[in-house]
Amino acid sequence: MKEDLIIKQLTEKFGSGISETSNPSPRRMFATVNKEILNEVIKYLRDTFNFYHLSTITGVDKGDFELNYHFANELTCVTLRVTVPRAEPNINSICEVIPGAVLYEREIQDMYGIKVANIPDGRPLVTSDDWPEDNYPLRKDWTFERPKEVIPGEQNGD
Amino acid sequence: MEIKIPIGPQHPALKEPISLRVTVDGEHIKDVDIRLGYNHRGLEKLAEQKNWVQNIYVMERICGICSHSHTTCYVQAVEQIQGLEVPKRGLYIRTLVAELERVHSHLLWLGVAGHETGFDTFFMYTWRDREIVMDILEIISGNRVHYAINSIGGVRRDISEEQKKLILGSLDTLIKRTEYYANIGTIEPTFVARLDGVGPLSKEQATSLCAVGPVLRASGVANDVRKDDPYAVYDELPFEVATATSGDVLGRVIVRVKELLESYKMIEYLLKNIPEGPISVRAPRKIKPGEAISRYEAPRGEDLHYVKSNGGDKPERLKVRAPTLANYPATVVMLKNMFIADIPIIFAAIDPCVCCAERTVQLIDTKRGDKVMRFSELRKMSIDFYKKMDLSKKGNLWKL
Repeated sequence: MKEDLIIKQLTEKFGSGISETSNPSPRRMFATVNKEILNEVIKYLRDTFNFYHLSTITGVDKGDFELNYHFANELTCVTLRVTVPRAEPNINSICEVIPGAVLYEREIQDMYGIKVANIPDGRPLVTSDDWPEDNYPLRKDWTFERPKEVIPGEQNGD
Repeated sequence: MEIKIPIGPQHPALKEPISLRVTVDGEHIKDVDIRLGYNHRGLEKLAEQKNWVQNIYVMERICGICSHSHTTCYVQAVEQIQGLEVPKRGLYIRTLVAELERVHSHLLWLGVAGHETGFDTFFMYTWRDREIVMDILEIISGNRVHYAINSIGGVRRDISEEQKKLILGSLDTLIKRTEYYANIGTIEPTFVARLDGVGPLSKEQATSLCAVGPVLRASGVANDVRKDDPYAVYDELPFEVATATSGDVLGRVIVRVKELLESYKMIEYLLKNIPEGPISVRAPRKIKPGEAISRYEAPRGEDLHYVKSNGGDKPERLKVRAPTLANYPATVVMLKNMFIADIPIIFAAIDPCVCCAERTVQLIDTKRGDKVMRFSELRKMSIDFYKKMDLSKKGNLWKL
């Protein structure tokens, strides 16, 4: 099995940097990676197993944030998991290894407020120009409040 | 001298709100910046507040053209978490609708390509034929756009012998016409001259920028989720991955026409080999805790859904990555060093779908003394208006 081989090679190469691996169904593989060595692991996967294609990055708010990097090649789909503490939401950009990741990293910045260091282009992507600061919609503690309608040309809308 | 031109969010060449800020030197494009976010609907946040069944219909409304793609991708993930075994006949119908949707999307795109290159006859021909597919979809599902055929654990409607015969009959017309378009796309000199070498994207650029779908395959990479990561019944179907090596807009036309012909083959196979049996299994209202990644080859490329359940009746997290987003970085590369006149066709060649939503009501006229209304008032007025009409009584007509 291809997934077994990838798990074996990853744990041999990076040892304690890879803490948890699983293969719950065919063609799906998960590995929890230490945040400091993320770029090295991705580079290794890319060069050894041809994982050039990053499908997307999924953020999950579990108290601390969990980022899932979904990679795919012709045979299987690998997900690398990284935990980012809520107190200091910082992560390094992976754009130097996978240039196509920039839009997904910008989305993560907008939606979770995780600061991506060394990102080639860090402007907001999906939120509007007048989006208030420190509002990160996909955090679990964020709720939507419909703003009061204002009609242009009228005062206070009353 | 370099000048910056804003194209969009509202522009005749673009059908949906996206803003391209193009830096030009004379007629040459030097740099492009894409700005999204005019249409962000917050569907991922919304999905966390709806239950598993409601979410099928939320997913359906992500996009009008790939409505079946998103629901299939979503229900596949949910079925995997719950461990539901979908009956074969259900999977066949699901795949049949998926391929019909691909036919309808690619015919629509061919028309748009013809329109953007000033070849409006082609546009009218393909859109006439697209009606045949739309009718087939209406026969199967009852709807032309949002088919609503998927449910968790199978599909909602069965397909009868008469319907099968009808579909096979109209398929012949489609095959004949598509072969004719394949000829036009590759031989017609004006069409070929307009598209050849426009919007180049090399194999290395396409892979490093994570492009998907026909854009990737037109650059000579034979990646197709249906082959690489087979879902539904694609592992049983006879088909080949369509590719082209030119890496320009012409290549993208050829890939889509080839895919159309492959889809007809698959539809025929599906109709002739569909097994008897039930079409769905019952799914519980609460889904077991777990997570799943589901990939799907939508007409525009790889669609990915990540679903996480905590054992309740609502998803803990639902992530959607639609194919168009993955193709934006590649679009920037394609547009560089091209001409301003090429922008519509290059941008259209990725088959962009910025997603339609967000209706706004603006009634701005304070000077003339017209009545200005808030949206909530307008809504109230419309409800009262219809209540007053009382159409339930016989003989009452619409007041116009």
